[in-house]
Amino acid sequence: MLKPSTSACFLLFCASSLVAEENNPLSSLELESLMATDVQATSAMKRAQSAFTTAASLYVLSKEDIKASGAVTVAESLKLVPGLEVRQLDNNQWAITARSVAGRYTSKLLVMVDGQSVYNPAFAGVYWETLDVPLYDIERIEVIRGQGGLLWGSNATNGVINIITKSSLDTRDTLVQVSSGDQLNYDVGLRHGGDLGNNGSYRVYGSVRDSDASKHGTKAEPNDDAKQKSIGFRLDFAPNDDLSILTQLNYTHTDMGQNLKALSVETNQNTLHQDRFQRQDGRVMARAEHRMSNSSNQMLQASWAIQDGEQLYLDERFQSLDIDYQMNTLFGRTQFDWGLNYRNSDLPFEENALISSDADLSRLQHYGAFVQAQFPLVPETLNLIVGNKSEHNSFTGWEHQPVARLLWQPSNNHVVWGAVSQGVRIPSLAEYDYDSALNGTRVGEFIQTGIDAIDQYHLRTVLNGNQQVEPEKSLSYELGYRFSQSNWSLDVALFHTQSKDVFAVQPNTSPEGVDEIFALLAAGKYQEAQQALTETVVEFDVVSNAELNVKGGEALIAWQPNPRFTSELGYSQMSYRYNLQPDTQPAIGYDSDSKQLFAKAGWQVFKQHSLFALFRSINSDAYRVDDYDVLDLSWNWQFKPSTQLSLSGKNLLAGSHVEYNNTSETFTVPNYIEPSVVIRLMAEF
Amino acid sequence: MRLIKRFCKSMGVLLLLHVAAVNAELNDKEAALKAGFLFNFARYSEWQVPATPVGYFKLCSPDSDFLDTASWVLHQQTIHGLDIKVALVELDSLSINQCNLLFVTHRYREQWFNTDKSLLLHTMLVGETPDFIKLGGHIRFFLASGKIRFEVAPESLKKADIVMSSKVLRLSRIVKGGEQ
Repeated sequence: MLKPSTSACFLLFCASSLVAEENNPLSSLELESLMATDVQATSAMKRAQSAFTTAASLYVLSKEDIKASGAVTVAESLKLVPGLEVRQLDNNQWAITARSVAGRYTSKLLVMVDGQSVYNPAFAGVYWETLDVPLYDIERIEVIRGQGGLLWGSNATNGVINIITKSSLDTRDTLVQVSSGDQLNYDVGLRHGGDLGNNGSYRVYGSVRDSDASKHGTKAEPNDDAKQKSIGFRLDFAPNDDLSILTQLNYTHTDMGQNLKALSVETNQNTLHQDRFQRQDGRVMARAEHRMSNSSNQMLQASWAIQDGEQLYLDERFQSLDIDYQMNTLFGRTQFDWGLNYRNSDLPFEENALISSDADLSRLQHYGAFVQAQFPLVPETLNLIVGNKSEHNSFTGWEHQPVARLLWQPSNNHVVWGAVSQGVRIPSLAEYDYDSALNGTRVGEFIQTGIDAIDQYHLRTVLNGNQQVEPEKSLSYELGYRFSQSNWSLDVALFHTQSKDVFAVQPNTSPEGVDEIFALLAAGKYQEAQQALTETVVEFDVVSNAELNVKGGEALIAWQPNPRFTSELGYSQMSYRYNLQPDTQPAIGYDSDSKQLFAKAGWQVFKQHSLFALFRSINSDAYRVDDYDVLDLSWNWQFKPSTQLSLSGKNLLAGSHVEYNNTSETFTVPNYIEPSVVIRLMAEF
Repeated sequence: MRLIKRFCKSMGVLLLLHVAAVNAELNDKEAALKAGFLFNFARYSEWQVPATPVGYFKLCSPDSDFLDTASWVLHQQTIHGLDIKVALVELDSLSINQCNLLFVTHRYREQWFNTDKSLLLHTMLVGETPDFIKLGGHIRFFLASGKIRFEVAPESLKKADIVMSSKVLRLSRIVKGGEQ
């Protein structure tokens, strides 16, 4: 005799595609499939639960898709996520976000590896090119688009990406992976794992990668070759069934080239530079999870991260210590979660020719708490979820992010959800404190004297961080629907986010200085005027007086007619509109419309041969580049049970194209992204 | 601040209003997965001396809730050409000696402690309590990183004249010594 609730829970088995099989509760009885199945599916809402019944726009990228795609880096693998903005600047650098305009140094996306933030508060972004997590050790990547992840912390207003790595219990073997291609000279990864006594397991790993520069640059000869080395380990220890301890360490050394548009101190004008940058990134974390009873779990996590980087005009030293505590409890059918967090960041400022600091801030602290409760208004049908995260930061004090969600499941295969949330983006150190020199303002734009030395002179121009700036507040409305049938599913989400106190740039030129120059010019005192010009500074301030309206939607259909064929077809659209005060310019992006068509398919053609294809049609006026259609195609040959050969063609169809050209927001000068080929051999034994 | 206070108050009230039965759905999913694992343990093992042969593969458990799920998951499956029959047993009854595989869930730990193990000489014994192998079991499920994992005592299995394939053993955590 079967219980009625059983069929409901089996619908939760879906991972990446949300496809469920009504008549066959487990998608497969194969041992490997059972080993890969989570008892609970995602941690998107700070509590493990199924993707199907998560009241947020969630996509879970599976390890199977990552492997089949032939992706080399984490950033590249994110192209597999529908609705995500993934733009490649050159062979190494990326601009990635969700439901917004992507920037290299500007983001409202929170990125974590196993719950440890890799966000850099200096510029509120992520160095994607130095985030080296071995792709074969990734269990899944959970992507929340929009404000669904606010409980994870401030600056998650565009979304959250949580990269979850495999338990070392599942990597107790030896793996060797060697890749090469026309742009990738070599990428060699080695991992070894095993048992540690009766209660523990470990893995150690290392990798080296060496790649060539791009073939064509947009403004200069490409210089984006790369050398990267990583080592790391992970230990999992479970002294008993109720306590598990995870410890891991990762160190990455990166040496890459880049073309920069950076200011020349002599001329106050942007000049093209061929630069090399070196970065060292280290992450250490420990987490203890304790099951206190059948209805309560608690978790304590401590982590330390260090990022050192040297590039033209900029030496960065960043360290952060994070401590998080969380408890999940079940009171009958009511889920109750709460937690505390503390972050201490050390960013000693190193003065240089382009950047100065007003307050010389070097230590930032964040601390706060979150609480969330899920109430079954109608058991197994209608749930109300309310929560709030309150966090104190060194810039603007206490900020609150309340959220309310409603989840209605009228039958086993239909879910409707809605959410109203307020998100906060606190300023980055650059926006709050740093004064950064920009491309100079030409005198001839204001006055023509007929004297070249004066008309062509570029005044020193500085963007001032502003300690009076308000945090950006976003009120977001979301509505979603999911449907799951035996071999197909539908996932639709609509959103409208209205933000106020959005950062903008406003001129703040001292009128006395300019008047004095005009007076000198009028009096024919050209030499004195020229001298005065060298001492004049055109200033712009970061201000928080803009409004931003972003609305759009995402739809994804997943179809799996048989176990050998999986496919996804997605479409997303977004409108991005500023409402600016007079004489101000937007700080991140500008008014634009973006559309994306997405198709992904995996086909097990024969027992040992499979194909994987990803097609994206990108249509947007947000990046000053042409629209493009791009295809990635991979063939995988499992010629021995433990050995696989794969061949991937990347960036096909589009030819040589530029994906990002907002050079006013990034110093990096982009290169043309070219079609490329990667061949890979992977053996596990 | 007033808004937050009001929010906290209303949440406290709602908490008090909704104390009810435990959420069974996740337990069902866990049970389904465990039934799938039992199927694989059986099909990748060889009984050199079968338990009392009855013409079908007898999968037993004292837990009727688990058997509800297992009967659905394993519907129309076979082990070594034999149909699978799931059977509800009492651990203190003599009929347990006909089981090819016995799964003892958490709630039957005390009964398992008092079970006459001599009736189960050639039965594969699978459980989930922390001391299950110490108390004479062969295989034990546990949870790690949200997934079901298992540990195996090969020496104990060997004593029961059951040979398990290396395909399963390499995925398990090996327990040396077994029963103490």
